[in-house]
Amino acid sequence: MAQEGSDVDFELTEDQQLIRTAVAELSAKFDDQYWMEKDENHEFPTEFYDAFAQGGWLGITTPEEHGGQGFGITEASLLLEEVSASGAGMNGASSMHLTIFGMHPVIVHGSEEMKKENLPRVVNGELHVCFGVTEPGAGLDTTKITTFAKRDGSDYVVNGRKVWISKAQESEKILLLTRTAKFEDSPKKTDGLTLFFTDLDRDRVDIRPIRKMGRNAVTSNELFIDDLRIPEEHRVGEEGQGFKYILDGLNPERMLVASEALGLGRAALRRAVRYGNEREVFGRPIGMNQGLQFPLADSLARLDAAELVLRKATWLYDHGRPCAREANTAKYLCADAGFEAADRALQTHGGMGYSEEYHVARYFREARLLRIAPLSQEMVLNFLGEHVLGLPRSY
Amino acid sequence: MEWKLSGEQESYQQTLREWLVAVAGPEPVRAWFEAADPGPFNQRLLGDGWWGVGVTEDAGGQGGGVVELALTAEELGRAAAPSAAWLSSVLTVPATGRWGDTPSCWLTPAEGPPRVVDVAVDGDGLLTGTVPRVLGASSATSFVVAVRGASAVELRLVDDSDAVTIDLRKLLDRSRDVADVTLRGARSTLLEAGADAALADAASLSAVLVAADALGASQRMLDMTVAYSLQRRQFGVPIGSFQAVKHTAATMEVMVEASRSAVYFAAASIEGSDVDSRLHAAAVKAQVTADASIAADAALTVHGAIGYTWEYDLQLFYKRAKLDEYLCGDPHWWNEQIAIGLALA
Ligand SMILES: Cc1cc2nc3c(=O)[nH]c(=O)nc-3n(C[C@H](O)[C@H](O)[C@H](O)COP(=O)(O)OP(=O)(O)OC[C@H]3O[C@@H](n4cnc5c(N)ncnc54)[C@H](O)[C@@H]3O)c2cc1C
Repeated sequence: MAQEGSDVDFELTEDQQLIRTAVAELSAKFDDQYWMEKDENHEFPTEFYDAFAQGGWLGITTPEEHGGQGFGITEASLLLEEVSASGAGMNGASSMHLTIFGMHPVIVHGSEEMKKENLPRVVNGELHVCFGVTEPGAGLDTTKITTFAKRDGSDYVVNGRKVWISKAQESEKILLLTRTAKFEDSPKKTDGLTLFFTDLDRDRVDIRPIRKMGRNAVTSNELFIDDLRIPEEHRVGEEGQGFKYILDGLNPERMLVASEALGLGRAALRRAVRYGNEREVFGRPIGMNQGLQFPLADSLARLDAAELVLRKATWLYDHGRPCAREANTAKYLCADAGFEAADRALQTHGGMGYSEEYHVARYFREARLLRIAPLSQEMVLNFLGEHVLGLPRSY
Repeated sequence: MEWKLSGEQESYQQTLREWLVAVAGPEPVRAWFEAADPGPFNQRLLGDGWWGVGVTEDAGGQGGGVVELALTAEELGRAAAPSAAWLSSVLTVPATGRWGDTPSCWLTPAEGPPRVVDVAVDGDGLLTGTVPRVLGASSATSFVVAVRGASAVELRLVDDSDAVTIDLRKLLDRSRDVADVTLRGARSTLLEAGADAALADAASLSAVLVAADALGASQRMLDMTVAYSLQRRQFGVPIGSFQAVKHTAATMEVMVEASRSAVYFAAASIEGSDVDSRLHAAAVKAQVTADASIAADAALTVHGAIGYTWEYDLQLFYKRAKLDEYLCGDPHWWNEQIAIGLALA
């Protein structure tokens, strides 16, 4: 770690370098063919997930007392970046994304019982979880959710609809954001939201996968919640404070998503370079054309620049410093650089890019997602414009 | 639908181009800039019979319409000729309905289309106030101004040089001039034309003519870029053989061709009083002048350091295109007008 007054240090620690190589090696056991088939068959990558669970990777950020390794966001981001960069892309990253950091609100605000009961099972891979925030009527405008948890003795009874909930199909439990007071009745719009960590009872929750553009090995689902009974013990922290708990995790979330986008960009670029060297047209490798070479070189520069901001952001977070500006910037730059690299990789492949066989079409579809979710590029600009530059809120 | 210029229009374009090569080559153009005096060029334009082309004979011009005006603007842009007086005079026709041998202009800031300005008018029609950055003011002998009268916006004609002060400003683009104009109780007469219609017509006309000007400058820069990329050798080959350079020129060509089609179409649309002519004018101002500005940067890049010098003529057209982007309303403003018409939230 850099000391006060010493040189700026860009070196990863020994642990971090180890994590990188180990994750890369493990990921390499699952080749492009594996991911193509999982994606095509809309099949959860169980073998891959299990391998990471057995390797002890899923608890990388979970505190040691709960069975994890207690590493920081820097290490978690390196893990997800390498997973994504291996060619596993968003299918691989999303299979474990929530397990890696999604339990943060439970770790910080959950009861001791809740932690004891669940965290070891999350870490060993047995307990699959999903995160239920988005609703048909409330996308980025989270405080407008209407899924309602009504008190009934010591229980809550929940009704409502969620949408886009990734991995719900495969999950035993859900972190569920609800309202316990209506928007209209809440003094502040961020009041009245309550977070639960509870069982996804199939008798009470109808789960329907959404047909979507990509990342098809991991489902995203519509949830129809009909009188779901939740015991009080499944509430995370205090009633009405749910929004704050989620807010805590937003910056790390941005950084992790950034690392996934970055990894995907690297995977796409690697494929593009390989094809640019191999494919000969007009008697020479197509990579010899500046029209192809320059965009790829440009993507390399943009990915490298985005990576630096990401590293800075995770470093700040792990050192307990404010990092919202850097976390948002990292998400923005990595998502753009990753998508651009995927787009160019596709273009480099010409017609072949459009076939699934060369994998860049899959990367392209996955990379596009990161400009929309979990937070759109526009919302990053809103944040930077308002909170960093001090311009008036635009919406 | 006719998608080409008439034979007459083509030969007009050709003759004007040749005339400009002979009369307004880089050397005389630079001399006029040095002297900060567009007068000699205006005189030649008038003397050689180009001044009134595109204005109807009824109004005192030599006939033709907006397409001819656009062709003229394009050629003037291609030559980087000092054309502020011509342009500012043409834009006053929708207000005065008249064309004369002496230049005129709107009293309005050059960075927007003609609009109502803060000039006070008293009961006797005497005008007082200052209008900054007026295009072509240094040459003009009469001025059109839109002011708030007692009950409505009025169009007035100022023809009282004793009560008018002109303070020339410096522009980076020396091929056009603007000045701050101060009126000290200047006498004026009320014009008959309806203010709203005249302002709107002048705005659309300004959009198309500035776009045509930018088109001419772009074409010239494209020609220079292609010629230079064939002439300049590095690494033992002409730089034009490097794909990135080739593609840059090709992209410029795409912009120029798209701009040309759009400009002529918008000119014909205004000439034919098409219901959507204002929209067409707005679209070409926003699109063509923005593209020309990008093309200017591309041309400069391909020329490397030499394009950055004063001696090399690219700078004349580069600055021309850069001013065209902002003259009479920038792309953002014109896009805004289009957006208003689309009824978005
Ligand atoms: C594959 C996938 C997986 C997902 N997984 C999950 C999950 O597991 N759990 C979960 O809760 N959610 C999940 N989501 C939902 C995701 O978080 C939302 O899609 C995202 O928050 C955007 O919300 P929205 O789609 O409703 O867009 P909207 O909020 O409807 O926005 C639509 C458009 O308007 C723009 N916009 C909105 N407001 C503004 C503004 N103020 N200023 C400028 N532009 C604005 C947006 O940028 C966007 O372009 C997932 C989505 C996808 C596609």
